[in-house]
Amino acid sequence: MYNLIRAELFKLRKNGAFWTLLSTLFLLSLAYPLLNYFDHKSNGEPQMTGAEFFITFTASNAHVIKFGVAILAGFFICTEYSSGVMKTIASSGNTRWRLFTAKLIVFAAGAMAASLVFPVVGTAEVTLLSGFGHLPEGSAASLIPRALGLTLLYSAAFAAMGAMFAVLLTDSDKTVSVLLVFFMLMDTLWIALGTKIAIVADLHDYSIFKLSVEIGKPVIDSGDWPALVLVPLLTMALSAVLGILAFRRKEIK
Amino acid sequence: MHEYVLRTNQLTKDFKGQAALNKVNMEIRKGAIYGFIGQNGAGKSTLIRTVTGLAFPTGGTIELFGESGEQALTEARKRIGSMIEGPALFPHMTAAENLEANRLLRGIPGKECVARMLKQVGLEGTGRKKARNFSLGMKQRLGLAIALLGDPEFLLLDEPINGLDPTGVVEMRELLRRLNRELGITILISSHILSELHLVASHYGIIHRGRLLEQLTAGELLAKCQHYLLIKADHPERAAAVLQNKLGTADFEVMQDGSIKLFSCMEEPGKVSAALFSAGLVIEKFMPMGEDLESYYTKRIGGHPHV
Repeated sequence: MYNLIRAELFKLRKNGAFWTLLSTLFLLSLAYPLLNYFDHKSNGEPQMTGAEFFITFTASNAHVIKFGVAILAGFFICTEYSSGVMKTIASSGNTRWRLFTAKLIVFAAGAMAASLVFPVVGTAEVTLLSGFGHLPEGSAASLIPRALGLTLLYSAAFAAMGAMFAVLLTDSDKTVSVLLVFFMLMDTLWIALGTKIAIVADLHDYSIFKLSVEIGKPVIDSGDWPALVLVPLLTMALSAVLGILAFRRKEIK
Repeated sequence: MHEYVLRTNQLTKDFKGQAALNKVNMEIRKGAIYGFIGQNGAGKSTLIRTVTGLAFPTGGTIELFGESGEQALTEARKRIGSMIEGPALFPHMTAAENLEANRLLRGIPGKECVARMLKQVGLEGTGRKKARNFSLGMKQRLGLAIALLGDPEFLLLDEPINGLDPTGVVEMRELLRRLNRELGITILISSHILSELHLVASHYGIIHRGRLLEQLTAGELLAKCQHYLLIKADHPERAAAVLQNKLGTADFEVMQDGSIKLFSCMEEPGKVSAALFSAGLVIEKFMPMGEDLESYYTKRIGGHPHV
């Protein structure tokens, strides 16, 4: 397994889409606070502090995570089908579950790296421009590591879903489009159905789609913690198992 | 008893009710260069994909290095190298990076094998050039280098000379021969270019519409390719009479252009020519002829080759 993970890491390191994604997010996370800063300055509005930026954008970072997963699933996993490389991989004498697991681990690592760009780079820049300020009253000093830790956990959960879709669809364009539509519309669809069917609303409350926006909450009740941690872990496990089952039965063309 | 690298028993693969492989019993002996011949869609690639674990059989069994069963087969596949339906490359990587990714995948220790493989296939000078900018021939050679990583005992090559220029074809042929002769690698090659296959293969398998029609050695093929003496004399009727009366054979055929195909007396061409001369005939053409692999294959599948 170690050699498979090394091979996947090597491929991720050489993957142009991965570096383009990181660079784009990096540039955007530099540009957005800067524009915001000058906008506030010209309007004479008070500047956003690093702490405020962190709390605001950790919540909306879920969109960046989903976008990153969709792009990487298409251009890191599916291109191996279109280039024929998957044939070499699948006939290398490694079991399918090992191949999928190694791929998932590295794919999740890539998605995790992308998920940290906005909160880390953006917050650092805003802090340099206007200072860090103060965390909201009542929030513990552990807010930042906790929020970043949960960001990583939810990125891994979304990545597991992305890997499963990639194995099922195998085509880059199809995977990117389906994942983007699925990730973006799922929430809306769930909320709409939830107003009519109670169980759907309950399911939505305990899904990574809903919980991922609560990552940056300044205060999390102790009763909310189990769901916040267990839901992404279970999503990851379930998606990984389904992905392995699909990949084991998949004929490679 | 022969040692077999690959044996399939009643191997069957159905696609939506159509048999892509129909009860195929294939045997490839250790050390052989097995020329796998068949039309497009005959089942060559399906068989290779099934053996390499990319497709799953719907019936029958596969035995690789004497091992069968899912787990044992997966393990046995570490001893094979393959290039299926063209070279499988990371287009954004250089030749060395492509090999490095595959070296890591296979868990081969030491980076030195990358340089060794590049040299073996003549790609050592490609430097920073990305694989997407390679010519088809270079891609084929890189695909072969990837297949050779880890010193496999059995190579499965699907159309390895497709896209190669004449020099590349000769180089590939020599490389395959060398790998077989010096390292004892057993090779299965499927190719459209039967004349090329004829120059390297020690064994043949002919597949048609999913059925393995025949397996034979190069020696058996030679014996089966019916040889004859081609005779062109000034009076075909008289020549035919001489063959019948003086040599006592009716095993010949007079062609429309007056030439005669004599299927017997192959061992005594001197006796044949002497008989014709003594009858006062002028011999314009007298030469031993035989079918080539292509003609034999065409005859065997009962139609046009289309390979």
